[in-house]
Amino acid sequence: MSRFRQGIEDFGQMLLFTGETFAWLVRPPFRLELVLAQMAAIGVGSTFIVGVTGVFAGMVLALQGNYGMRQFGVQGFVGGTVAFTLARELSPVFTALMVTGRSGSAIATELGTMRVTEQIDAMETMAVNPIQFLVVPRVVASILMFPALTMLFSTVGYAGAYAVGVFVAQIAPGPFIEHTRTILDVPDILHGLFKGVIFGAVVSIITTWRGYAAAGGAKGVGEGTTRAVVMSSVAILVVNYVITLVSLRGQ
Amino acid sequence: MIEVIGLHKSFQDNHVLRGIDLTVETGTTYVILGSSGSGKTVLMKHVIGLLRPDRGSVRVDGVDISKLEGQELTAARQQFGMVFQGAALFDSMTVFDNVAFPLKEKRRGIGHDELRARVVEKLRVVDLGEEVLDLWPAQLSGGMKKRVALARALVAEPKVVLYDEPTTGLDPITTDYVDDMIVTTKKRLGVTSMVISHDIASAFKVADKLAVLCDGLIAAQGTPAEVRASDHPFVRKFLALWFEKQ
Repeated sequence: MSRFRQGIEDFGQMLLFTGETFAWLVRPPFRLELVLAQMAAIGVGSTFIVGVTGVFAGMVLALQGNYGMRQFGVQGFVGGTVAFTLARELSPVFTALMVTGRSGSAIATELGTMRVTEQIDAMETMAVNPIQFLVVPRVVASILMFPALTMLFSTVGYAGAYAVGVFVAQIAPGPFIEHTRTILDVPDILHGLFKGVIFGAVVSIITTWRGYAAAGGAKGVGEGTTRAVVMSSVAILVVNYVITLVSLRGQ
Repeated sequence: MIEVIGLHKSFQDNHVLRGIDLTVETGTTYVILGSSGSGKTVLMKHVIGLLRPDRGSVRVDGVDISKLEGQELTAARQQFGMVFQGAALFDSMTVFDNVAFPLKEKRRGIGHDELRARVVEKLRVVDLGEEVLDLWPAQLSGGMKKRVALARALVAEPKVVLYDEPTTGLDPITTDYVDDMIVTTKKRLGVTSMVISHDIASAFKVADKLAVLCDGLIAAQGTPAEVRASDHPFVRKFLALWFEKQ
């Protein structure tokens, strides 16, 4: 019971933290240089891992798609179905999971270390709000970079699918591209990018909170980082399901 | 002047401060002595408004800092500089950026040349030269970190400097150096200083007045001579361990 109560209290504190973060989002001073630095760390720094994951995800989807569709003689639809799946589901989810593992853990560790070594207290004594200085730039950068990385994932994923579909599975390039145009619409791409925005907000809030609330030395930082990654990963999958459910109900 | 009046603070069932009363006169150094876990750091965090009391108040030049919020609290904190136990330098910044940080935040738009001049000036106060400007905190020794932390605390020219266990973990020579630094800083800049420590030798060296904290209450306070003459059992035992070694 006490663990349940503690969990509720922790969640409530995270909601207050979220409210404070979004309140500071619109209050000066605006720290553009910190946002750009975080965009480089979270976004540019993740391009390689997101690119590699995207290529192989696209390639395996094309392989599997070709295997299944060949039995019905409709291999030409492989390009379209891969593009559709990537744009709406796989790109935002895989991207968010990969960036959580790479940058989310780094955010939780960095802020956790700053907390237990009193650097965050020091910042407060210097009349600087740590949420505004440390948290807001990471949240803004994540909200901007998650959809950009999602777009990258989709693009290289489709390129990987094309390479495997056309050069390995010998699917004719014409139907491969033509059916992509038929199946994939702009709203599908926007749907994936919207998920990227939401995942960016969710992951950055969870990881900054777990770091910000860390306590108890190196062990506390380690536990905070683990919880940040686990909570973010679960949240991505749950939120993804909810968004998809809501969007399909509307159609 | 800092006045702590009837200060109480509990964390869940742990009643850490049980009614602290003390006054720090402007321009003096006040040391709070006590064993580990006696509530010294909790007391100091109330003085700078990092914690709020359950009861009582902390007045700085007549203003009750425990009642302030938002921009008013931010403005009140600009009167303070604080040197943390572990120095608390920002790992991701060089020495220059660490020392410049409070000034850049206080006076946004300050020119780089003026900023550099102020940083170098404050590093000189703690006997450090320009050669350390581009070093990272990880490249500094424990004593150097404390000195950089003091330079950072002084750069925005605070009225009050708070020292949290400034000599903990330092060798005897560096400890002596840090003690001298506290005394010299007070003399050169005329700041009010509040030091929390369990290092009796350092406390008696730097203090104009001191207080001994025991079980969340002040067991004795006054000048070093007055505290040494106290007949409180804890104070006698606490001080005897050190004075018998001398």
